Amino acid sequence: MKIDIDTTLSCDVLIIGAGGAALRCAAEILENRPTAQVVALTKVTHPQKSHTSTAQGGLAAVDPKDPLDATVYHMFDTWKGSDCTADQNVVKIICESAWEQILWLENRGMHFSRNRDGRLSKRTFGGHTRNFGEASVYRAVFEADRTGKGIMDTSWGETLKKGIRFLNQTIGVELLIENDWCHGVIAFQQKEGKFIRILSKATIIATGGSGQVYRVTTNCRQNTGDGLALVLQAGLPVMDPEAVQFHPTGIVGPGILASETLRSVGGILRNRALEPFMVDYAPKMRELAPRDLVARAIESEIREDRGITNPDHQIAHVWIDLTHLPDEVHEKQIPEVSSFFKRYVNLDTKSDLCPVRPSNHYHMGGIPTNAWGEVEDHEGHPIGGLYAAGECAAASFHGFNRLGTNSILELITMGSIVGRRVLNYLKDEVKAHHDPDPLIFRSKFEGYLDNSGSESIGILRSELRTLMTDKVSVFRTEESISEAIEVIHEIQERAGKVSIANRRLPMNQELLQRWELDNLLLVATSICHAALYRKESRGAHFRDDYPSRLDEFNHHTLVAVDHGGECHISQRQIDMSLFEAGGEHSEKFGFIERSY
Amino acid sequence: MSEIYNLTLIIARRDSADDTPRYQTYEIQAGPIMRFVDLLRTINDEQDPTLTWNSSCEHGQCGTCSMKINARPMLACELLVENAIAMFGTSTFTLEPLEIAPVVRDLVIDSDAAYERVNSVKPYIIEPLPPGSEAEEHQINPDQLEYYVDATRCINCFCCSSACISSHRTFLGPNAMLATIVRVLDPREQEKEERYRKIYSDQGVYRCHTSKACSHVCPKEIDVARFIALAKKGFLPE
Ligand SMILES: Cc1cc2nc3c(=O)[nH]c(=O)nc-3n(C[C@H](O)[C@H](O)[C@H](O)COP(=O)(O)OP(=O)(O)OC[C@H]3O[C@@H](n4cnc5c(N)ncnc54)[C@H](O)[C@@H]3O)c2cc1C
Ligand code: SF4
Ligand code: SF4
Ligand code: FES
Repeated sequence: MKIDIDTTLSCDVLIIGAGGAALRCAAEILENRPTAQVVALTKVTHPQKSHTSTAQGGLAAVDPKDPLDATVYHMFDTWKGSDCTADQNVVKIICESAWEQILWLENRGMHFSRNRDGRLSKRTFGGHTRNFGEASVYRAVFEADRTGKGIMDTSWGETLKKGIRFLNQTIGVELLIENDWCHGVIAFQQKEGKFIRILSKATIIATGGSGQVYRVTTNCRQNTGDGLALVLQAGLPVMDPEAVQFHPTGIVGPGILASETLRSVGGILRNRALEPFMVDYAPKMRELAPRDLVARAIESEIREDRGITNPDHQIAHVWIDLTHLPDEVHEKQIPEVSSFFKRYVNLDTKSDLCPVRPSNHYHMGGIPTNAWGEVEDHEGHPIGGLYAAGECAAASFHGFNRLGTNSILELITMGSIVGRRVLNYLKDEVKAHHDPDPLIFRSKFEGYLDNSGSESIGILRSELRTLMTDKVSVFRTEESISEAIEVIHEIQERAGKVSIANRRLPMNQELLQRWELDNLLLVATSICHAALYRKESRGAHFRDDYPSRLDEFNHHTLVAVDHGGECHISQRQIDMSLFEAGGEHSEKFGFIERSY
Repeated sequence: MSEIYNLTLIIARRDSADDTPRYQTYEIQAGPIMRFVDLLRTINDEQDPTLTWNSSCEHGQCGTCSMKINARPMLACELLVENAIAMFGTSTFTLEPLEIAPVVRDLVIDSDAAYERVNSVKPYIIEPLPPGSEAEEHQINPDQLEYYVDATRCINCFCCSSACISSHRTFLGPNAMLATIVRVLDPREQEKEERYRKIYSDQGVYRCHTSKACSHVCPKEIDVARFIALAKKGFLPE
């Protein structure tokens, strides 16, 4: 079957994605340059359906009116939380502009929860401290348990007001890069079943996470790491792909997030014999130990056959026991999570043990950018006209471990920073559109439609996701990662024997899923190779065979994949500008120990 | 082992908006806590990869997976097999797309068309009130916020629009009404006049017959009808 480009569109700014990062960026551009033609693509049916809408807990920002908190403490917490792998120039920019961005949202109608004075209410979260770890602080503002939705509703409204053009269910499938310059994208319009070319002066990748690489994940169905795959395909590297965060308590089987609150109100984790096992792993902190430690404890129980298998979903888990807590706790302190258990596993937290297991949650790694979101190649040279922001990008604000509430902060701060950068660029470099030949998408999609064989996309996808959950998740060893790499090769071979039953292109979900499978395989490959390379443990990356952090790995990992499928690893220095600036508190920003 | 149910799903299939639906029957076995989205995925993987449907968050937060299940508009990601059997008293389920916009294929509708109604009421602050001082947030009393906060929880799943007997061409529909009502109640919006004109236009709240179907089907349990009634009474305190 032959595939052609149906039409060509031109615009000033093209954003691949319409989640929190994308919309904040678009709003910045349109507020300051109302005549700019901004086009944003989504994979979902409408921007509001983007994954940011599900973020619950809150967003960290130091209120300048707060006498107890200070921006330098937020910077320190982020640096320490990252296990000393965040870039300090980025940490500084984001933490310093946080409150300004909260006001931007509030002034435009976000419905933040309020205290009795009518000011913004604040919560505390794990890792939010004052005086460099001395005591907890209230640093997270929130909109009830719908903070991400608040950001989305507000910034979607603002871009709509300012005349953005959305192309929904329009999927970017190839970046048009020539001579280190990006000129736009080839996109598949799913509803119409057409391929179009979109030429732009600036292109921003804001495609979100990659959680679907793993079987159990809190991420939405569209999070197949497309942005990472797009740059890898273009021969550019991704950074720190091995840094994948697992939340200790995802609800079996969908993986829905059951928040930390369950443990802070007194929930007890139990294995198959109903033994409370956290005491064996963290005798003092027990259930209240940090996320990664609790995730490893649960995974160990499961690995040593002390877990339980859920009959419906065929997924191993442990129990969280909340039955001993007074009714009031269930009703007042954990109503949302209790309702999730009721709704998705039909269990009552008051009387039933509830099944949980570590669930893939967040990708710290991503497309390497500098502090203004300009995408870089493996030597640190920016690619002209190409930017990345949000979860798909690694600037890097989170290093090897993200603090809760720091992600949606990154969306709005980096979104606006990239927007401002693009505005400058549009001023300085107004160029005519250039139209390089696409290299990849035709042979790819024609191949998908022409292939024959009896393999099923769904089955290959679930084999890959189970493999990654079993071999390259919370625990990794040289042996498990190598095995995964081998099986990924086999799945790649078998993927060539998938035939697409549906031949009509409009709303052809099979064709899209076939393409997504390639992206998942590519992203999984980059995760495996980086995890194999990093013979140490740091943040969320834990190697059984190398359980400590090592100074020789005090750098970012860059992974590129060549046309033969061969992976190439290189390194990027960690920005240490806060440490190097000297002066008060600079010593806090050295390679400190991450202990809590 | 937990119980296994034998289910029959009868699904409306269409290649495009112009087709008349043909109803295709799928027999499937599933455990009690499988969700309807899991069933559709299993059909794709094991029986028929061409059956087309849509979802995103798969935990009731985005409103992508709305469809009619035995004529009731609901979120397919929130409905568990055993609850569905209890609710409808049968193990046979008919799945159809919401009829609020043209069908693109099978269970997927053209949501751009559906959203037109929401866009038309301007789902943003048209004329923002400047905050008390530069670099500050507005002060909003939490009791005042509490009064309208439920209307901010809408995820535009369009279940209410689908259930509303008045939600034909002339009425913009309950969720579009909510989107503008919330900004009448929000003290940060100064442009109330334009909003009133729309609310009391021939596409507005007077089309509502107070059947309360909207409140009844809303997966977010928002009392939509209460807000519509409030608008009908001219936003006088309840
Ligand atoms: C359940 C849950 C709760 C969370 N809670 C919090 C929290 O309380 N605080 C916090 O800080 N973080 C939280 N996070 C993390 C945070 O929500 C995400 O990291 C963040 O929302 C990602 O935003 P984004 O804008 O980068 O991407 P997204 O919001 O995922 O948007 C990506 C956009 O790109 C589009 N897209 C993707 N691929 C393509 C393509 N190929 N072509 C065209 N468009 C494409 C998508 O359709 C979408 O519009 C949570 C995450 C989860 C899963
Ligand atoms: S109460 Fe009014 S808006 Fe709600 S469903 Fe009935 S007619 Fe429609
Ligand atoms: S009011 Fe309820 S039913 Fe209607 S669109 Fe909003 S969430 Fe859905
Ligand atoms: S998929 Fe998001 S509400 Fe069902």
